Formats: sequence, C-alpha cells, structure tokens
Amino acid sequence: MSTKGASLKGLLLVALLVSHMLLTKEGVTSLPICPKGSVSCQLSLEELFDRAVKLSHYIHFLSSEIFNEFDERYAQGRGFIAKAVNSCHTASLTTPEDKEQAQQIHHEDLLNLILGVLRSWNDPLIHLASEVQRIKEAPETILWKAVEIEEQNKRLLEGMEKIVGRVHSGVVENDIYTPWDGLPSLQLADEDSRLFAFYNLLHCLRRDSHKIDNYLKVLKCRLIHDNNC
Amino acid sequence: VRSMDLRHLLFTLALICANDSLSASDDILQRPQISKCRSPEMETFSCFWTAGNFYNLTVPRILQLLYKKSNEEDWKECPDYITSGRNSCYFNASYTSVWTPYCVQLASKKEVYDKKCFSVDEIVLPDPPVHLNWTLLNTSQTGIHGDIQVRWDPPPTADVRKGWITLEYELQYKEVNETKWNELKPRLSTMAPLYSLKTARDYEIRIRSRQRTSEKFGEFSEILYVSFSQIGIGCDHCTEEVEFPWFLVVVFGVCGLAVTVISIMLSKQPRLKMLIFPPVPVPKIKGIDPDLLKKGKLDEVNSILACHDSYKAQLYCDDLWVEFIELDIEDPEEKNRASDTDRLLSEDDLKSHSCLGTKDDDSGRASCCEPDIPETDFSASDTCDATSDSDQFKKATEKEEDLLCLERQDNDESLPDLASTDPQHQHRNTESENSGVWAPFEDSVESPHLSVHTQISNQNSLTSTDFYAQVSDITPAGRVVLSPGQKSKLGRAQREGCTEQNFTMDNTYFCEADVKKCIAVTSQEENEPRVQEQGYNEDGYFTTESLTTTVANLGAPTAAAPSSEMPVADYTSIHIVQSPQGLVLNATALPVPDKEFNVSCGYVSTDQLNKIMP
Repeated sequence: MSTKGASLKGLLLVALLVSHMLLTKEGVTSLPICPKGSVSCQLSLEELFDRAVKLSHYIHFLSSEIFNEFDERYAQGRGFIAKAVNSCHTASLTTPEDKEQAQQIHHEDLLNLILGVLRSWNDPLIHLASEVQRIKEAPETILWKAVEIEEQNKRLLEGMEKIVGRVHSGVVENDIYTPWDGLPSLQLADEDSRLFAFYNLLHCLRRDSHKIDNYLKVLKCRLIHDNNC
Repeated sequence: VRSMDLRHLLFTLALICANDSLSASDDILQRPQISKCRSPEMETFSCFWTAGNFYNLTVPRILQLLYKKSNEEDWKECPDYITSGRNSCYFNASYTSVWTPYCVQLASKKEVYDKKCFSVDEIVLPDPPVHLNWTLLNTSQTGIHGDIQVRWDPPPTADVRKGWITLEYELQYKEVNETKWNELKPRLSTMAPLYSLKTARDYEIRIRSRQRTSEKFGEFSEILYVSFSQIGIGCDHCTEEVEFPWFLVVVFGVCGLAVTVISIMLSKQPRLKMLIFPPVPVPKIKGIDPDLLKKGKLDEVNSILACHDSYKAQLYCDDLWVEFIELDIEDPEEKNRASDTDRLLSEDDLKSHSCLGTKDDDSGRASCCEPDIPETDFSASDTCDATSDSDQFKKATEKEEDLLCLERQDNDESLPDLASTDPQHQHRNTESENSGVWAPFEDSVESPHLSVHTQISNQNSLTSTDFYAQVSDITPAGRVVLSPGQKSKLGRAQREGCTEQNFTMDNTYFCEADVKKCIAVTSQEENEPRVQEQGYNEDGYFTTESLTTTVANLGAPTAAAPSSEMPVADYTSIHIVQSPQGLVLNATALPVPDKEFNVSCGYVSTDQLNKIMP
C-alpha cells in the first residue's frame, strides 16, 4: 500500500513539473534563492507571484488590524460609522467590482490597475505614518503598524513592477495614478475632524488592500495555476 | 369598612385580569429590525430582519427593505424577497458590487425602523464545507490508538478555484460522550490529520470556514462520525492504557530521597556530610565552654569570664610575642640580637596602650584564645580552656586576674589574699612601653615581692592594671626578660631604684624594671664596668646570671628590702609547654623548690626548668 502511494506521488510530482515547465515556457523551474543585488539571478514568475500574494495578504492583514484598533480606541464614542462617507481617493480608478468583471479584465490591465492603486497609496501611507504619531496618546501598535504598512507597500510596488516587466509584452502604461490631497485633513486643528479623517483613510486603506489582495490571487490562479488553485 | 374591603378586592381582581390579558400578548413591543446581512461567497448577499410584533397589534404593515449604493441618490427596493426565505432580501450578483458601500433600511410606508451601512467584503460568512470523510493512516502497535486523515471539500458556493475567495478551515472533534470540542488551528488546506485517537471510542468531527482575513466563521458543517469498529480495527476489549503512575512515582521518589538523606547523614564521610549538610554555626564565644558555664563552679566561671574579658589574650596574640616564643635555645648567635628587644621596647607603648586602653572594651578579644595560637603561648590559652586541671586552674585563676590588664575591681578581689603591702612597691603600669606576655606568677606569699599587689592597690590611680611581671623580652638564649612596666620609665627608679630594688638573689630572672632602675641610676656613672648590663641596659636583655651579678653588685644595700621595690610579679604560673624551648611554668604543678623558683619576675629559664622537670 505504501509503495503504491509512493509511486503515485512520484508520478504526480513528475506530471506537475512537466506541466509547470510547459506553462511557464522556461527551463527547469527550480526556485532559486536570489541573493540581494544579484543581477543575473532570476526568480520564476510563480515565485514572484507567491511573494506578491504573501505581501498583499500581509498588508491587508495589517490594515484590518490597524483599522480595528483605531475604531476601538477613537471612533466608538464619536459615531464615525454613521458619518462614514467612504469617498476614497482611489474611487476614480475603475477597478473590477465583482468576480465577473475580474474574470473578464485582461491580466495586463489588471496588473496595471494594481500598480496604479499601489502608487496612489504610496504618498498617503508616508503621511499616515508620520501624522499618526501626532495623535494624542496613540498606541504603540498603531504607530508600528502604520510604519510597517508603508514599508511593505513599497516592497510590493517593486515586486509588482518586476512582474509587470515580465508579463507585459508591449509597452508598459504607467499613467494610472490618483493623487492624494488628504494631508490637510489629517492636520486639522479640531480633534474630532482630524480623527474622522484618519478613520476614513484607514477604512479606505483596508478596502483597497483587500482589493489588491484579491486581484493578485485571481491573477495568480489564472496565470500560474490555470484557474485551478 | 365592608365597602372598602369590597372595593379593594375588586380592584385587585381587576389588576390581575389586566395583567393576564396583557401578558397573553407579547409584553414588549418589538420594532422590526435588520438582524444581519451576509454574503457567502462575495458575489451575492442577503439581508435578514425580524418583523417584530407590530403586525399583531395593528393593521398588518408591509415592510420594505430599501437599499442604496453610496454613489446613488435614491433608495431602491429589494429585488428579491423570496430566495433567502422569509423576512429576507436577496441581492444577486448583478446587484452586488463588492467594495462598494451599501446602506439598507427597513421601512414601512410611514416610518423607517432600521438602517444599516456596510460593504460586501465586510460581511462575508462562507457556507460550511461539504463532503467530509476520513481515512485511517495507521494504528499504534498495541492497537489502542490510531491516526486518521480527515478530508473535505470547500463550500460549493465559494469560488476558491479561481482565487476569488480564500478560505480558512477550523476542525473540531470530540469523543461522542464528551461535551467539550477540541479545536485544531485554522488551516488553508482541505485536509487535516488527527493523531492518537482511541480506537475503542467513537468520535465526532465538524468543520467550519471563514474568509482568510476575517474574524468570523461561518456555520458548522454536518457532523462526521468516526468509528474504528466499522472498519474492523476497533479494540473493544483492549485494556485501558494505564495512566502514568504519578502516585507511585511520587512515593518512590520521596522514599529514595529519604534513604539518600539518611545515608548521607549516617555516613562516616565527613566531607560529604559537610558538603550536603554544612554545619550550622552555633552561637559561641571562643574560649568559653558553654558546658562549663552551665555546670561549672562559680570560681571557674569567673575565671572563664575573666579570661574571656582579659587583654591577656590580646597581648598573647601579639605577633612579637609569638615570635619571641619560638626561639632556638642552642643558637648562641642570636644571643646578642638586639632587634627583638628594640622592637619590643619601641612598641611597648602601643601594646600597653592597646591593653589598657581597651580594658573596658567588650570586643571579642577572646578570639585570641584560639587553639591555633602556638602552644608555647602562656597560660592564657590554657586557662581559657576549661579542660585544665581544676586545682591548678583555681589557683591560676586567682593569679590570672592579677596578671591581666583588668579593671580595678577585678584585681581588688584578689588583693587581700596577697602579702603585706609595701607602699613603695612599684607595680607595673601597663601603660608603659612594655607589653608582652604577662605571666601569672606564683603567689609565693612568703616572699615580700608579692607586695606588688599592694603596689597595685596603692597605685591604682597610676595604672589601670597589674602587678604581674611582664615579659619584655626573650633572649635568643631562651631566657625571659621581665619588665615591671611603667614604673621603670616613670623615672621613679632613679633615686630610689637601686636601694629599693627587690631582687631575689636566687631567682633566675629579674624583672627588667628592677634592674633597670638600678642600672639607670648607676649606669650613668658606672657604665664601663658593667659591660653586660650596658648591653642589657640598651636592649633590655637580662640573663639571670647577669642580673644576679648586677643585683648583687647593685643591690647589696638593697637586698635587704627586695620585696619593697619589687615592682613586678607576684607570682608565676607557667604551664608546661611541650616544646623544650617553650617557657611554661606551672608553679602549682611543679615541685618547686622555694628558692629556685622564687621568681620575682616569674620566669624560669629553660635550664632551670629542665632541672626541675623530671
């Protein structure tokens, strides 16, 4: 029984390898460990997607946590939920809103969109990390998470640019971007207004990070696993 | 009164009836409210509400659910009231935008009862997994335990394959009879092993799922029953595995430990014993035997305390003294060594100061009464030791008090015992430069030199202590030089000295003070002839022969009254020492011929000692 299982497993492995090879159109796809700064070393697309998905998941996880903590700490007595208008600055970017749309959009466009959203969040995250420290008695966990999100977002951006470079066959469109003008609202004198601005920003961050996480998973399943995750 | 009672009765009855009627219908008026909105797969969502009890009381109202996306202005009505059941609204995929904020409100025509705002990605609660099954991995050798692998499929509604939703699963299991579920950590894969299940028991397994970054789980799946007997490996008659015998372990451990401890305690190995059971220091004063304190006679006790409080020990502990003790008699080269004497003389002040100055001190000088002090040490250590012969001890104690740098009061007791006093007797002042070992002297009452006691009594004001001969020096030849102490240096000897000198001619030693007085007076004029004395004059060394001659020379007129001027030593009590070079006289123990041991200063040369000793 065990030997049969072993041989079966071996067969499966071989089949996977072959299919993977055919899929990626590259040679032997071992997963090399690329030391930092090495130019010649190339990660496989699968590895790149794996890392990207891990990062996006981590960013979304941190965003959820920081939003929940902020909500608990500052928003409860103020009725922010009722006031939430939820007008995020990335709303102008037309991103797929359901599975259908996500299935239909071309993967290159989706990648570009992802990049656009990530770039649009670069600036707000920097300011979030710095402004959140000015909140009176901000808990250490919130401060730490804000800084961490900003860092990881940069890394994800770099990774996505690599992926885009690999995947794109044609010219890379780099114009998807939304500027952020919410800095004054984070610096309002009135504490209530300022905290509401933070609440909004964190709510938007949570949503957008979830979007990106989802899109990347969809892309990964589509491109790497052929819709068979 | 009757009417009043009747009214009361009627009133209460009415109240009761009213209460009953009211409680028949629902007590609390419940508003219709939205209980929850849920999306199982992030593609559709439904909202559920409770109608409340408004319907029953009044004209049935029609509840509507209105919704609005954040970017719209108008409230729209629910597209599907049926699919999700009663009091629900179902939004299919075309109405669902995942990351768009929605607001729904429950309203009738007239009023709004409840309102909720959310976005679909926040309300994801997946359906339970399906197709649970298990397979046996292996069993233990005894057949009592087994491992199984549980597999399941994700909920069919969730599109996991395309990666639209990522699910996490939590498995719970328990024995059929138990009430509490065991939980496994949430995992992404759709299989989980369960280890060490008892094959004799049946198990229940259930699984639930949630979206990976959410907190809330969906509903539980159907329960999967695991029964090993079904696949024929059940071990119904297997004996229960014995639980780890904690009780036995503890008992045996304690016994073993006790045995080890007892064996260590009883073992002859002192080292081991010391290592494991270090001796607890008992409060103890060195030099005092607590048994003696308890049972000893008063005199002995006094002696102990006296010894303990004495400065004698300190003096004995003086390093110089120790040095002097250990001299080689045979070595003639050391005879003329002056260094010792110099040292002794020069430091006399210090020593005597230390002796007298601290006479009231309670410090533990008795620490000097240590067994490690060389045995040539004089009676100090021996008398401190309670094991000495009681007789000699008794006598020694009397004398020791005198020897020591004691308080007046201590000495006074022994004074009346002593011989007639000569007021002119000088007695040593321990404040003098000389310090050294003070040996108790034999109380030869017959000799007038014992009037040192009287000296003391007379001159208490001058000195705080003693009338004992103080050994100021020891010659390399092994002879002891005694010094009367302060007296000599006070200069009183200058005129009176020689004439008043009290020398016992047949004595072996002369106290330095005595001789010095004479010499000091006469030496200035007659230094030359007295080559010997000169040497001694400077160094303080005296030999008995020289002293004798000197005294003979000097003290012809003074021989008549040696006792009056004998400043030193009432008696000597020297204990026998083991070393042949040591000087320990025990007058009481030895058969002392009077003449020979009529020591004024109280020391016997080793030659004489040897003569006496058998």
